[in-house]
Amino acid sequence: MTRSSKIFKFVLKRLLQGIPIILAIVIINFFLLNLADGDAVDVLAGEAGSATPEYMAELRAKFGLDQPLPVQLMVYLKNVVMLDLGYSFRHDMPVSELIVDRFWPTALLMVSTIILAVGFGILLGLLAAMRLNTWKDAVITVFALITYATPLFWVGLMMIVVFSLNLGWFPTSGMENVAAFYEGWDRVKDIAVHLVLPTITLSLFYLALYTRMMRASMLEQYGQDYVITARAKGLTERRITFVHVLRNALLPVVTMAGVQVGALIGGSVIVESVFAWPGLGMLAFESLFARDLNLLLGIFLLSSALVIVVNLIVDIIYSLLDPRIEVS
Amino acid sequence: MNNIFKGFLVAIALMMSSFAAKAQEAGGTLAFLVQPEPPTLASYVSTSGPIGLVMPKVYEGLFDYDNDGKMVPMLAESYEMSADGKTVTFKLRKNVRWHDGKPFTSADVKFTILEVLKKVHPRGPNSFREVSRIDTPDDHTAIFHLDNPAPYMMRSFSAYESPMVPMHLLEGQDVKSASLANNPVGTGPFKFVEWKKGQYIRLDKNEDYWQEGLPYLDRIVGRFIPDASTRTAAMENGEVMYAAYNAIPNIDAVRLKERDDIGVTTDGYSMINPMALIEFNTIEGPFVDPAIRRAISTAIDRRFMIDTIFFGYGKPATSALSSNFKATNLHAAMPNYPETGDVAAANAMLDAAGYAKDANGVRMRAVLDIIPYGEDWRRAGEYLKQVMGDIGIEVELRYEDVPTWLKRVYHNYDFEMNINYFYQLPDPVLGVHRHYGTNQIRQGTHFVNSSRYSNPELDALLDSGSKEPDAAKRTATYKEVQEILAQDMPVVNLFELEFLTVYNTQLKGAYGSAMGAYGSFREAWLDD
Repeated sequence: MTRSSKIFKFVLKRLLQGIPIILAIVIINFFLLNLADGDAVDVLAGEAGSATPEYMAELRAKFGLDQPLPVQLMVYLKNVVMLDLGYSFRHDMPVSELIVDRFWPTALLMVSTIILAVGFGILLGLLAAMRLNTWKDAVITVFALITYATPLFWVGLMMIVVFSLNLGWFPTSGMENVAAFYEGWDRVKDIAVHLVLPTITLSLFYLALYTRMMRASMLEQYGQDYVITARAKGLTERRITFVHVLRNALLPVVTMAGVQVGALIGGSVIVESVFAWPGLGMLAFESLFARDLNLLLGIFLLSSALVIVVNLIVDIIYSLLDPRIEVS
Repeated sequence: MNNIFKGFLVAIALMMSSFAAKAQEAGGTLAFLVQPEPPTLASYVSTSGPIGLVMPKVYEGLFDYDNDGKMVPMLAESYEMSADGKTVTFKLRKNVRWHDGKPFTSADVKFTILEVLKKVHPRGPNSFREVSRIDTPDDHTAIFHLDNPAPYMMRSFSAYESPMVPMHLLEGQDVKSASLANNPVGTGPFKFVEWKKGQYIRLDKNEDYWQEGLPYLDRIVGRFIPDASTRTAAMENGEVMYAAYNAIPNIDAVRLKERDDIGVTTDGYSMINPMALIEFNTIEGPFVDPAIRRAISTAIDRRFMIDTIFFGYGKPATSALSSNFKATNLHAAMPNYPETGDVAAANAMLDAAGYAKDANGVRMRAVLDIIPYGEDWRRAGEYLKQVMGDIGIEVELRYEDVPTWLKRVYHNYDFEMNINYFYQLPDPVLGVHRHYGTNQIRQGTHFVNSSRYSNPELDALLDSGSKEPDAAKRTATYKEVQEILAQDMPVVNLFELEFLTVYNTQLKGAYGSAMGAYGSFREAWLDD
């Protein structure tokens, strides 16, 4: 069997395996969310100031909340199987529309954060390992420790104070300039400017993690037998580091990055909140307090699917990095 | 000579002020804070605060109210009330068009009042409960026929309280689920353009607005920024220019006030009349005896709460009614609401009522629920725990999220006492009766009589208060109401909240309405 058809079979198998996992996640989430007191109608009526019990009963009937839980679950599952994520009664919009609308800002933030964090993390870790126990190593290690230990929201606010209020380089918040409403390339530039502070803030935490991991991983590889063999062969240190050690040292970092994509969706709530970035994290957070269960379940479904897909991609990257690991 | 000189100065001042009044510049975008993001834009179904910030720019009412409470004609040019107070005739403005081009007529008014507000609005059934019929002899006349006089009704015609909505887009549909909710079409100075969830709502100038030359602004954008510190930073940076209803927390507002380019005001909330209070469960639990509730009211240092927790913004409550009702002669100060609190007197009241302290100085234990609307209320709870401890009531605090809290207090009545705030609105009939009347014990309805207090004597007074057209008789009725409530205290009023509006001084002309942030902003302009 050729390598590519092997990979294809592997992907197909893993995707099929993912379906029961996603279903289980949906069912568990459904019951977990229903454990919370109060429902969407309570919140809507509470915000409205007051509403009659008849009106609330009518709303519950309309939302299907008057049905017993197993019936509600069955209805939901049936819709999910038909790729219909349901309707958010709070927003008066289909869930899929809401999620897609908020997915792009999240993806933008997520991708730029991963590139920045993994890229610089690997670079800094590599540098620290190569200059072990010099001042460069010390500076990088201390920097990683400090950024890892600093709360995200505080970093975000300090970024705003320094770069928005004092220096005036970047806007404090949002994704677009609402006074201008740019179009075309101006809009792209505008969004990019708005993206800088949230990305840096969110990256710092992960950057620290990858730096420390990369450094440790490099040091571990340096002690392996194959490095001694390579030296004995007379290879340059440069070649040993970049061709032999680096590839092996990358494996744990890639694993970690894969696991964290899922966490990034939820973990960006703080950054989204501080910078008013219109992502999925805030949407999930708000819908929890609004008891907008359809929307929440939809977001959970999407993030679990995303985690499965990303882990699959990570497995494939493994086999590229280290041909000894075969997809099977 | 001196007088002539003075007269000359006055003349110059007048000229200058009229010159200044002419200097409004048209154009520009006003970005302001909407906090939190509204659930929908159906202001005719929900009185939710953030909806109120946005929609009065799109929908209009028959009248607005200026800062002195006087009625300002909007969609209605004038009204006439019959001698018995049972017929009110409105003359409507001509040449008003909906944003989709259809003319606004008396049929829209009739439909809005009878089919929308009276049926699905949270407060409409109360405001318009006496309206039995509306006649529309022509397109620009609407005659309201009332079963009983309803003096309070004339206070509820603002764009926020009673928005006029287009009949042609709602008729024959289920009003509550009509698509108008998220695609509003009004008559107001601004048209709805788009709502980017999680980011902003954009309203553009209505070029065909009925008032020539208005609005001045090209665009209004309501921005959502979840984090309070970022909201403050955006204000400091000039990215937003207006923030009402404490979107900028008091702690930051007192700091921003020092800047030349930022102002802070407590105007614009007199039609809302928010009152901070404690609701008691009067049916079961430790607070069935009114003597204990009176003792608690006596012990609380209201001045301390205002100064320490709310940075000096607030007025101590002096009765069941807000002192803003002094304007209509309905407010009367009562005993049992000492401004700085009297712990010794409160202890004596409890001793006299026979509640002895045990060896640890504890008379009773209770749980205090806290309204989950922010940090300030938590601190208020901590203070109340301390002061109640001083009079031998050991308090445990409970802080839950909004749906859980609403369910506990208004569905299950599973609470002992609850910190809350109520809008008393422009008339007691609209905002206060719901808290005390026997007919307002409505299980499952939020923000009504959760104390389940029932007093036939009070019910009779409330009833006559809502039907009495004579101002002097109303004053006497509400004095009795306040006397009864100062004795029975199913609810202990703490203080009148003063919400803060923080604004950039470039923004002019946005402060003339008693509705404040719930106003239309049609005369707002930016002075660069």
